[in-house]
Amino acid sequence: MTKHDKIVLSRRGFLSAAIGTAGAVAFNLTIPAPAHAAAEPVELHSWVVIKPDNRVAVRIPQVEMGQGCTTALAQYVMEELDLDPVQTDWEYYDPATNQARDNVYVHTATLASFGMEMLFMPMRTAGAQIRAMLVQAAATRLGVDAGSLSVEGHAIGDGSASVSFAEVAADAAALSVPQGVSVKDPSQWKVIGKPLDRVDAFSKSTGQAVYGMDLQMEGMKYAAVKQSPVYGGKLISFDFDAIKDMPGVIKAVAIKAGPTGYTVPPTLWDIIDWEMDDAVAVVADTWWEAQQALNALPITWHEGRHRATSTDSIEADLGAALDAGGMVVRNEGDVETALQDAAQTVEAEYHYPYLEHAPMEVMNATALVDGINVEAWAPTQYGDEALRIAAYAAGITTIRAKFHMTLAGGGFGRRLHNDYVSQAVQVAKQMKGTPIKLIASREECLARSYYSPIMTARFKGGVDADGNVTAWKSHSAQGRSVLQPYGMTRTVFPFANINVQYSSVEDTPLPFAWMRGVGHTQNAWMNHGFMSELAAAAGMETVDFHLKHLRTDAVAEDRADKDDAIARIKRFQRVYDHVLSKAGPAQEQGKGRGRGVAVYDMSYVPGFHSSCIGIAVDLRLEDGDVKLERVTASVDCGLAVNPQIIEAQIQSGIMFGLSNAINGKITIADGKVEQSNFDSYDILRLGEAPQMDVHIMPSEEKVPAGIGEGAVPVVIGALVDAVWNAGGPRIRRLPVRDHDLTLRG
Amino acid sequence: MTKLTVNGQEIEVDASPDMPLLWALRDKLGLTGTKYGCGIAQCRACTVHIDGEAMPSCQIEIGDVGASEITTIEGLGEDGSHPVQRAWVSGNVPQCGFCQSGMVMAAVALLEKNPNPTDEEINDEIVNICRCGSYSRVRAAIHQAAAEMQKG
Ligand code: FES
Ligand code: FES
Repeated sequence: MTKHDKIVLSRRGFLSAAIGTAGAVAFNLTIPAPAHAAAEPVELHSWVVIKPDNRVAVRIPQVEMGQGCTTALAQYVMEELDLDPVQTDWEYYDPATNQARDNVYVHTATLASFGMEMLFMPMRTAGAQIRAMLVQAAATRLGVDAGSLSVEGHAIGDGSASVSFAEVAADAAALSVPQGVSVKDPSQWKVIGKPLDRVDAFSKSTGQAVYGMDLQMEGMKYAAVKQSPVYGGKLISFDFDAIKDMPGVIKAVAIKAGPTGYTVPPTLWDIIDWEMDDAVAVVADTWWEAQQALNALPITWHEGRHRATSTDSIEADLGAALDAGGMVVRNEGDVETALQDAAQTVEAEYHYPYLEHAPMEVMNATALVDGINVEAWAPTQYGDEALRIAAYAAGITTIRAKFHMTLAGGGFGRRLHNDYVSQAVQVAKQMKGTPIKLIASREECLARSYYSPIMTARFKGGVDADGNVTAWKSHSAQGRSVLQPYGMTRTVFPFANINVQYSSVEDTPLPFAWMRGVGHTQNAWMNHGFMSELAAAAGMETVDFHLKHLRTDAVAEDRADKDDAIARIKRFQRVYDHVLSKAGPAQEQGKGRGRGVAVYDMSYVPGFHSSCIGIAVDLRLEDGDVKLERVTASVDCGLAVNPQIIEAQIQSGIMFGLSNAINGKITIADGKVEQSNFDSYDILRLGEAPQMDVHIMPSEEKVPAGIGEGAVPVVIGALVDAVWNAGGPRIRRLPVRDHDLTLRG
Repeated sequence: MTKLTVNGQEIEVDASPDMPLLWALRDKLGLTGTKYGCGIAQCRACTVHIDGEAMPSCQIEIGDVGASEITTIEGLGEDGSHPVQRAWVSGNVPQCGFCQSGMVMAAVALLEKNPNPTDEEINDEIVNICRCGSYSRVRAAIHQAAAEMQKG
């Protein structure tokens, strides 16, 4: 085994990847050999590291979980420093440094498609400041005026003399960070807006990429974990003697319930379920041995008050909340009178199931506790929180803790919770000096997660004799959740009479998580679907009906957000036009062929919108099943920093939304999740995937909007319309495959 | 001790014969390019070649492998120069990448049997789960690799 000796990683700095070499941007400059280069890498202004060989590493404060941030965020700094992609690496920010330096990395939680937008100014500004520092140091070294110098190919010079970045890095680091430095004008951009190849495509195509689950250390042992199968259950006892002679088995340990998010002072985070239940872990020489022994371990649980809870009982609670009336979150005009006066009224009830993120890499963390220190490694979407959790679980201050981010095999919101970090540290604490890699099986991951919440909504709408919506009423009730009625309140249509109510049923057992698309995913397709029901009542084509109601002249004069509402309607019109023209004429609708079209912008509050995305789904209903043919997407994402990554993210969001909507549901019986693995929680496969054509719309915007999530809510609305237009059932409850998909008579 | 032939080398693994090949590769031999996603033959992240045939390594006990040749993603070549890998890189296929070792191994095995597969044949053979939904680029890269391989 010489060629493939066990890879033993050093305990830090193992994640550094070369920026892809295939040159979307050509830098054909010869890099001068560093004459007096520093022998050690030099950190500049927290954001870059200049290495002795003149390569430059850019610090990335977001987790790479597939969205391409290690390529696209690096482009911000590369632009300002005119870096050569071939000579540029990336490394993760260090959470402990971020804490010590007062959140110098600005935005370190990876969520809500915010990364590219939130770091657009900070990372470019840092790049510009670092450039100024390097130029100043070079001017001093060369004895010339800084204004005469230019930067090219990791070197600074004036045509007659030059120095490399590495030569002046240490001098530059001694300078104070200049303020008031301006970033490049967009007309000067060479890297921002270019489809640079992914930095990680090679390592991920060769098996060389190291994920959290792949970490290996000298003397490391493996832990398999099982939390109380019933939510809120308590561990009574386990019988280690029954398994102690099984192969490889070392120990079984109890893991205590506790916080999995530990934010001080309390913030928004504290209203979310950052909790986990008691668990048991078995430690062995290999993970498989640990899991086999855990399966055989006799464990006694106290199941607690949720032991009789089921999906039906939760839905009954949601129904009761709807009967009782909710918090009014939007009210304009007089909806009740308008309903009475309507030529027709329509009522419907919509349902959304619990869902789990199911990223391909299961939850895992590696930890080492050596008495007064704790060090942990994990794929997480929030490294700062993981650091605090590691310290909390070890019972020490964060000053004594180190946390290292790893590549993540997907996340989708699941990894904002650091339960697995706490579990790994708790095991390591009971085995001091031994590195522990804790891995949750797929079964454990599905049964013990944080879930996109279940939701039921009731709609009532009124239409006049000319097919105008005159009244719109909705009330949604969610299982344990943060307040997320925004998809309901933020309807783009300027209804004169609208009433929106919201209820949250807190006493549901499954803990809450955001999932890709967040509350928009539940809300937007329901709003869209009910609008399509009103279209049917009015006897109109769904797309025509939606377009007919995108009326800027109907926005009430006295609306506080009038200008924003009008701009938003115009944006939706542009995106509808674009996607309809790209999708081309639809085949004859009905008899098994259907097209659905939807547009949405993930707006949370007036003035805050994400990318506006339009999607057309073309499908067939055949043999009682849905066959996806083609999905066309038009994306207005403002500044497109890296178009090829945007295309991939939109395709990814489309598949995520379709897979969840067609197949996905998590159900509960006796307080336990009923799905156990991909055989009962299926993901769409390649053979079921449609052709996907993604069009990035031209934009005058010079600021990027998020693209990771936006396709998810939209595609579901388009899907349910397409099923209906093909002659299938009206889908008011997901997943689609729970319905009889034979054609209507 | 169980004897295995992995990537052209004979090695002895100190593990009970019922250990799935996946875990012997990962935890005993440090070959972590082969991934775990489900353990029940659903996701195919664990795909390796057994005598050239794509198989889910989570389903094969090491005691049953015998003299068969095992090839993992690491054994496709150290420099990533297999045409399938080159197509994967130039096509920017991976997102999170966790499924991609298995995807690459499945694609290589497919192209060995069928140098110019149709879309239908790709649908039938590539049953790996990609939660990131990289399927469009996977399909395009398989066609690209097939074209490259036929040029020779
Ligand atoms: S791990 Fe083997 S098929 Fe999923
Ligand atoms: S690239 Fe993430 S699972 Fe396929």
